[in-house]
Amino acid sequence: MIQKKICMVGVFATGKTSLVRQFVFSKFSERYHSTVGVKIDRKRVTVGDREVNMLLWDLEGRDGAQELQTSYLRGASGIIYVCDGTRPDTFEQVFELRTLVDQTVGTVPSVLALNKADLASEWRIADAQVSENEDSTWHVLRTSAKTGHGVEEAFLWIATAMTEDAET
Amino acid sequence: MTGLESTHGGATAHVDAFGLTDVGKVRQQNEDQFAIARLSRSLRLAHTSLENVSTFERFGQTAADLFVVADGVGGVAGGELASGTAVQALTEYIAQTAGCYYNVDVTGEHEFLDRLEQAARHAHDRVRAFSSKGQGPATTLTMVTLLWPRAYIVHIGDSRGYHLRGDRLRQFTRDQTMGELLADEGVVTEQQARDSGLDNVLVSAVGAEITPSIGVLDLRYDDTLLLCSDGLTKHVADEQIAGILRGAANATAACEQLVQAALDDGGSDNVTVVVARMGRPTG
Repeated sequence: MIQKKICMVGVFATGKTSLVRQFVFSKFSERYHSTVGVKIDRKRVTVGDREVNMLLWDLEGRDGAQELQTSYLRGASGIIYVCDGTRPDTFEQVFELRTLVDQTVGTVPSVLALNKADLASEWRIADAQVSENEDSTWHVLRTSAKTGHGVEEAFLWIATAMTEDAET
Repeated sequence: MTGLESTHGGATAHVDAFGLTDVGKVRQQNEDQFAIARLSRSLRLAHTSLENVSTFERFGQTAADLFVVADGVGGVAGGELASGTAVQALTEYIAQTAGCYYNVDVTGEHEFLDRLEQAARHAHDRVRAFSSKGQGPATTLTMVTLLWPRAYIVHIGDSRGYHLRGDRLRQFTRDQTMGELLADEGVVTEQQARDSGLDNVLVSAVGAEITPSIGVLDLRYDDTLLLCSDGLTKHVADEQIAGILRGAANATAACEQLVQAALDDGGSDNVTVVVARMGRPTG
């Protein structure tokens, strides 16, 4: 079995904790609790014929990208960036966060989760804006921690990418 | 009452730590426990013909500080036994596995976290040994292991951990109670959880069923950590806690003032506090 650290990165209230909760426990809560420091959960998944123990570091979301505590990122093999599709500023801040992450851990497999996809009527990120920023270095998808839409896919994509990364 | 001052080696901080427990004004027995411990390398050179002894200096440095609070579950016989056994078993386990605390780095960090969780599970097994047919004593357990500047957190139950930075006090643990669980599920409101007493029913406790919550918190100079039993938070609001932690001259004074505030408000439960203040290294 291989063990991999994945960091959940995004500004406050984008749904990082809720995504982990949905993935690990298949649960969702409307209550908001801000994370202090890092909450760590684990989930084992199977990728091909390999078992991967995913160590999910849910980093506290701050007001601004510059406030990211980069010391928590050390040793990360994958990053899941999370923005709130109803708050376009959180999408823009992902790119600042990404610069800081790249400086700290280098380029590692990454996912950009456009979260809160269930709030369709409040969605504020244009498809064109998303496609402009799609490239081979990260996997971009819509997720909803509430309905579970895209959640499994996001985490399994990164587990697969990290496993392939480990083999090369 | 226990007092301790600790200075770390390498990346250093001067940690002023103190703990205090009180039976309160209503209960007959104190079922709370706390511990503050320092893990350090034990080799101390007494006499040698060697010229260069500087390599031995690091063996005297502190490897880790450990802070623990446990609250024996009320209403179940042997709460005192449970909290005492848990803290004893936890500290023994950590002492026996102390080698893993000396050189924690990025690659070994998860193994280290596993060890901390295993320590809690070891305590759980020891407490469960007193049970029969699922009935027996139980306890909360909130533990911080500090390898400056990183605090590793293992939390079970509804004792609490708080972090003060500047004027901002934040709770870094979440109460593992039926009230919280059902409020999260949307089954009850927070008010209903409080009014119904569900906030006092543990869904995770050492000796019963445990779901340890694991976390990490990087600290800075002038930060303060507080671990406490619910005998404090039943009576003292977060704003007052923050005021005391900010205003107290040292960890000892902070503990005394926090306990006194709980007693002044009625002291309906045992009250236990551990305060650790992170200072710049001296000398």
